[in-house]
Amino acid sequence: MILLWLLIVPLAAGPLAFFLRRRPLMEAVNLAAFAVLLCLAAALGVKVLRTGPVSLWNDFFYADALSALVVLLTSFVALVCSIYAVGYFRHDERNGIFQKQEELRPLLAVPKLREYYSLTPLFVFSMILVALANNLGILWVAIEGTTLASVFLVMFYGRETSLEAAWKYAIIGGVGLSMALFGTILTYYSAHRALGTDTLAGLNWSVLVGNAAQFDKPTMRLAFILILLGYGTKAGIAPMHTWKPDAYSEAPIPGAAMLAAGVLNCALYGLVRFYILSSKCLGPGFASHLLILFGLLSMGVALPFILVQKNFRRMLAYSSIDHSGIMVLALGFGGPLGVLGMFLHMTFHSITKPLLFFCAGNVQQHRKTDLFREAKGGLIHSMPLSGAAFLLATFAVTGVPPFSLFLSEFTILRAAFSAGYLVLAVLFVAFLVAIFSGFLIHIANLVLGPDPGLPPADTCRWKKSSVVGLALVIIVMGFWIPAPLFRLIQGAAGIVTSGR
Amino acid sequence: MTFLQDPEFGDRIITLMAALVLVLQIAAVGQRWLVSSIRIFAVQSFLLAAIAGIIAYFNHASHIYVAAVLTLILKAGLLPWFLERLVKRIEIRREIEPLINAPLSILIAGCLTLVGYVVAQSFYHPEETSVRALGHNTLAVAIALFLIGFFTMLNRRKALTQVLGLLSLENGLFLAAISLTYGMPLVVELGIFFDVLVAVMVLGILVFRIREAFDSMDVSRLRKLRE
Repeated sequence: MILLWLLIVPLAAGPLAFFLRRRPLMEAVNLAAFAVLLCLAAALGVKVLRTGPVSLWNDFFYADALSALVVLLTSFVALVCSIYAVGYFRHDERNGIFQKQEELRPLLAVPKLREYYSLTPLFVFSMILVALANNLGILWVAIEGTTLASVFLVMFYGRETSLEAAWKYAIIGGVGLSMALFGTILTYYSAHRALGTDTLAGLNWSVLVGNAAQFDKPTMRLAFILILLGYGTKAGIAPMHTWKPDAYSEAPIPGAAMLAAGVLNCALYGLVRFYILSSKCLGPGFASHLLILFGLLSMGVALPFILVQKNFRRMLAYSSIDHSGIMVLALGFGGPLGVLGMFLHMTFHSITKPLLFFCAGNVQQHRKTDLFREAKGGLIHSMPLSGAAFLLATFAVTGVPPFSLFLSEFTILRAAFSAGYLVLAVLFVAFLVAIFSGFLIHIANLVLGPDPGLPPADTCRWKKSSVVGLALVIIVMGFWIPAPLFRLIQGAAGIVTSGR
Repeated sequence: MTFLQDPEFGDRIITLMAALVLVLQIAAVGQRWLVSSIRIFAVQSFLLAAIAGIIAYFNHASHIYVAAVLTLILKAGLLPWFLERLVKRIEIRREIEPLINAPLSILIAGCLTLVGYVVAQSFYHPEETSVRALGHNTLAVAIALFLIGFFTMLNRRKALTQVLGLLSLENGLFLAAISLTYGMPLVVELGIFFDVLVAVMVLGILVFRIREAFDSMDVSRLRKLRE
């Protein structure tokens, strides 16, 4: 039943916000819906830990520890983004951002906000559906749904550049996902012989995983390559990453944060489900080599762009490419350590990335630019809170101890050593260090430095509370991971390594 | 009328229609007029619906009838109508300088068909299958459609032709699904149809907005976002 509520809450919140029309009501609906969603997600996590996988409607919906983890992370990200969104859009409205494009008629901010507040719950709904669908076809439908719901977020501001970014996002995403659909069809075909059914259950993951060893091997091989390319496009691993910097820099900040910390997890979730099937069918070697290749390629592609980056929002996008590369790489190293490292990384990345986006958003709204050069530095003087949080988030996201991403990256490194990939481990560390230094130089230049003499900002209560709250979570998680959360992560890793 | 019960006959008809679908796809590659591209897509979708109907008839698989009817209504009716209306509203009739000229494009499409056959051969072994599946011709055509759709998207610069490329790529997937496994489970099929419909609407809105903002549908003008 809880599975149904997890889907109903965001699905109902979208139309509700659409019909309420008034700004405070729409904000309240979003906040309430995502708060309830987070509670439900936590309850699902507890239930899965206590009694094992939960299913509904003849296994149509199915949640094990892996799904519960993704649902939990998604709803957490959705909640913090909706808190930040209140302050962010009120700032936009006060500064007449919406009026500018619609010829100065009054009250035109409301339709724009209505678009955001009614599409975001639908966007979250499809992300939750990704994690809860047992049927791999429905999983594909849901991931395509996240693309469709978020295209409007990318073109939200209606600038020429936003349209360009949205076009790239929709087309590259569409082509990528059609490859993933082909992969899904081929998986169905390769399982067809073992299962021999035309019924719905023939694509259910919980059924497939038990029979994966009898799948047709050449077909499964092709299917996994297509799935990796397809869901890899959604996760933004190189060389299919080109939509990411544009989409992340054009979408409004809360939307971009949800793309970076929500959709990324969902795409990787889909990839992991197929990884399990493929490694049971073909042995772990085949998938591992591909994953390692794409993972390292993503890190390597992200590195130079981070080093010479002029635009801080694009830099965040390259950081996201880097991190999805790290996660794919961790999955490729495999073994209990690699998989555990991947899920730790997914968890910590999902709490850290939104903070980076929020700080970048504060800076952008204050300085009216997203270029390092024009932002002029000296952030700490006019925005002490955002400046400090930006530095903190930079340290956290680049994996400096004591922050938690250090723990996950270290685990991944250990996995590399224990799997015997010495050269790759050295390369991995080299990339991490280089990206750390590039990131730190840019952000330090932005945050520190002489006072450019701008009026103080950081007054909005909503923006402040989301930044401070998230920063506290990040600091606490650096020292202490709640035991149930860690058991959930372990459970998710266990599903990948043992298949159950 | 005994031949109507003969599966052999059904296979031949399907192969013939699949061949027609492929011919249409190659014709679309050399096509210069937007409206004719859209109509080619409509006819192609109609043939696919017919193929699905024939498969459903000879294999007594009732859920494929649903897929056939949906294809007929959506892809052969609703989507072409919507796209043609869009073309009228943005007042563009001529494509279209493709990056590669028509004869060479058709040659490339031919090569891609060959690739389709090679790929289809590599993992298709009907003799091991318990269920009687279609000849590998259909699968090869499906893969060729997919690849040619991909090529069209790279080759054409107008936003609408890229959408058409995406749609024919999707047609290839549909053909692959029905020829390999007699379609996906019905729920999945419905979900995919819904997604395709919404995707075309979204892309249509986007095309319209791009046209308004840039006064052109040429995607190669979208080049502000660069490193």
